Amino acid sequence: MALLSVEDLVVRFRTHEGTIHAVNGVSFELEEGERLGLVGESGCGKSVTNLAIIRLLPKPAGRIEGGRVRFDGQDLMALDEADIRDLRGREIAMIFQDPMTSLNPVLTIEEQMVETIQAHRKVGRDEARARAIELLETVGIAQAAERLRNFPHQFSGGMRQRVMIAMALALHPKLLIADEPTTALDVTIQAQVLELLRELTESSGTALILITHDLGVVAGMTQRINVMYAGYVVEMAPTGELFAHPSHPYTVGLLHSVPRVDEREGEELIPIEGRPPDMRQLPAGCAFAPRCAWRLERCWVENPPLRPLVEGTPIVTTGPQASHLIACHNPPTPDEAASGRPTRPGFSPAPAPPGLIDELSPRSNGVPGGLADLVEAIEAIEGPLSAFPSAAGLPLPPAEEGPDGER
Amino acid sequence: MASAEQRAAGGASATGPAAAATASGAGPGAGPGAGPLLQVEGLTVHFPIRQGIIIERRIGDVRAVDGISFSLARGETLGLVGESGCGKSTTGRAIVRLYEPTAGRVLFDGVDITTLDATGLRRMRRRMQMIFQDPYASLNPRMTAGGIIAEPLEIHRVGTPGERRERVRELLATVGLSPDYASRYPHEFSGGQRQRIGVARALALEPDLVVADEPISALDVSIQAQIINLLERLQGRLGLTYLFIAHDLSVVRHISDRIAVMYLGRIVELASSRDLNRTPLHPYSVALLSAVPIPDPAVEARRRRIILKGDVPSPAAPPPGCRFHTRCWLRERLGNPVECETIDPEFRSLATDHQVACHFAEKVDGSAEQLQAAGRGTGGGAPVVSGGSAAAAGGSAAAAGGAPPGARAVPPPGASRPGE
Repeated sequence: MALLSVEDLVVRFRTHEGTIHAVNGVSFELEEGERLGLVGESGCGKSVTNLAIIRLLPKPAGRIEGGRVRFDGQDLMALDEADIRDLRGREIAMIFQDPMTSLNPVLTIEEQMVETIQAHRKVGRDEARARAIELLETVGIAQAAERLRNFPHQFSGGMRQRVMIAMALALHPKLLIADEPTTALDVTIQAQVLELLRELTESSGTALILITHDLGVVAGMTQRINVMYAGYVVEMAPTGELFAHPSHPYTVGLLHSVPRVDEREGEELIPIEGRPPDMRQLPAGCAFAPRCAWRLERCWVENPPLRPLVEGTPIVTTGPQASHLIACHNPPTPDEAASGRPTRPGFSPAPAPPGLIDELSPRSNGVPGGLADLVEAIEAIEGPLSAFPSAAGLPLPPAEEGPDGER
Repeated sequence: MASAEQRAAGGASATGPAAAATASGAGPGAGPGAGPLLQVEGLTVHFPIRQGIIIERRIGDVRAVDGISFSLARGETLGLVGESGCGKSTTGRAIVRLYEPTAGRVLFDGVDITTLDATGLRRMRRRMQMIFQDPYASLNPRMTAGGIIAEPLEIHRVGTPGERRERVRELLATVGLSPDYASRYPHEFSGGQRQRIGVARALALEPDLVVADEPISALDVSIQAQIINLLERLQGRLGLTYLFIAHDLSVVRHISDRIAVMYLGRIVELASSRDLNRTPLHPYSVALLSAVPIPDPAVEARRRRIILKGDVPSPAAPPPGCRFHTRCWLRERLGNPVECETIDPEFRSLATDHQVACHFAEKVDGSAEQLQAAGRGTGGGAPVVSGGSAAAAGGSAAAAGGAPPGARAVPPPGASRPGE
């Protein structure tokens, strides 16, 4: 029995501007001590999934409208407020992106850490304080006893995140959810914090869900990865397998749209065209279809389910042998995944069916054709526009003899 | 912040009326046309720290930029990279004189812009434009996209209103937006589209130099490549010169011809993009390079990060001697030599077009750390086998791990430096 099991989770936000379909049937499992990465861009539902798991969705807008979450044998959806509060921190701890907003600015670090420890453990103040000092030392904060008396603003960003990690691990939780823990930090500080996270979760056997947009961070930190797009998990695989055989067009697109510090000279970036969908009105078919270079006609109308890459194989949900699952009607071949583009002869992405206005393209004003079409063609093909338009447009007086001043 | 951005946005709108009033004859706009487009000499920007309410006393300085020099050739891209607080953005802003330099010279096409009066500056600003990080903050929400892009044209009185409208449509098309978007407001656009508007505004006056300050950091991953490719394409088409400021070494490396690494107000290393990534010579550059995560588990598994201890010291009280000595891994290895703490290392040339400010840069060259960071090393026995799995994720892992031990001096095929 897995430590955490999420089944068909559906989360909606009801707002004045409409219902946001934040999470649309997400299922995954996590074993004890496993490290799982949730990758995706802002708005893909990766953070909301985890807020739903720990029942911290902003109320009243956010609602879990379907699915089950089981943790360590308990149904988290069925727990009452007091029980879930006790569980948070003790069993499931969280670290958020901005440590300044997670720490109370008017209390010293000591007050906050001691309070946390005492809230969940029946220990005296001195004992809690000793534990706090020990924890700060574990996360590499020098002169821990003195630093306890400091306020959060007296710590740097990296140190605040270390304090958060110390507090999160104070109660030996079974699961740590880290939501973009290093996004606000500089790269050398990010290296410190990631190293610390890995060491501590490994030595204590704490399971980790690492939420990030950075494929580089998950590559070195996790054992398995779920790639999310528009509230769906679109690809799921062990980390090595995902990077070796990226098979969903979105994953392939992500890998080709970030420059690598070890890339070869002249490596070309292949952007994913368009932009993420409006989560209030998701497309009828595959949510990624409007941006996909591999889309077929059926992609516009039929949302593909998550299924094994190799058809017919049994599904393993956790561990190093976990199945490689994708949600795609027309996955790129390994060669195409390596080149980042469809290379099969004669293939072109299926146009939107008639009557469906493509909300995502630059034509989104709904009037196809004309100059706007040309613009898209320029974007797609790279450089049919041989000269800067102004060469044919109005002449700019040379800057040396500006028209102003002398007039 | 916002005011500075809006000033640059309008080319020189803040100085505009004043410039028109001072009918000064100083108009040294015509440069020699040869030599570097931009030459920065000993640029220093200090921000005073004041105390007291009625009687303000100056109790110190934040030495944001402390004497840096570099030059920028026409059509070149120089990447300025460093962590927050290193002074890279201040440098960018001081170059277009959004901040007044405390000392030093900024020669733009041979003219020192630090001494220009308002009229001369305004004329010069037309040739240097900025693109800002936050496309949400740098566009006026009450103006339409067309108005925003046309503003520099209006300020510099270029064309008639009709011509400007036409030019706005062209500019929108140039940056990959529908010309019909001219009448829309910023909130109607996504982040990536807003940044395209920012680019269009910067291009409106056909500048020579574009200072791009973290232009993609606020954008989603899938959108970043769109903007990078757009900037590269525009450079090829318009012959633009870029000063590209970013914290992300992989992005800087991708777009730049040369890279300057900054730490605490100083340039610590300046080299071609290739040299900096294959043979970084400053201990800080090595650490920075090693800390960048690579989206490839096979590469990540065999890399060793150099974990720098502690945080960047405050630029109000930079450490004496070498500013990096408090966190330097090399200094520790060498048994803490005294000159690191006492003597400010000179910025010296170690190879052709490769300058570094470190007393012991020679010791960095060939060290296991350097090889590791550059992805060529053995990591003291760690496996270097380039996993077959790595190739599929873009194929670039081959360059990272294929070199056999001891092959560090061998450049990759086709990597021979010009002039050697």
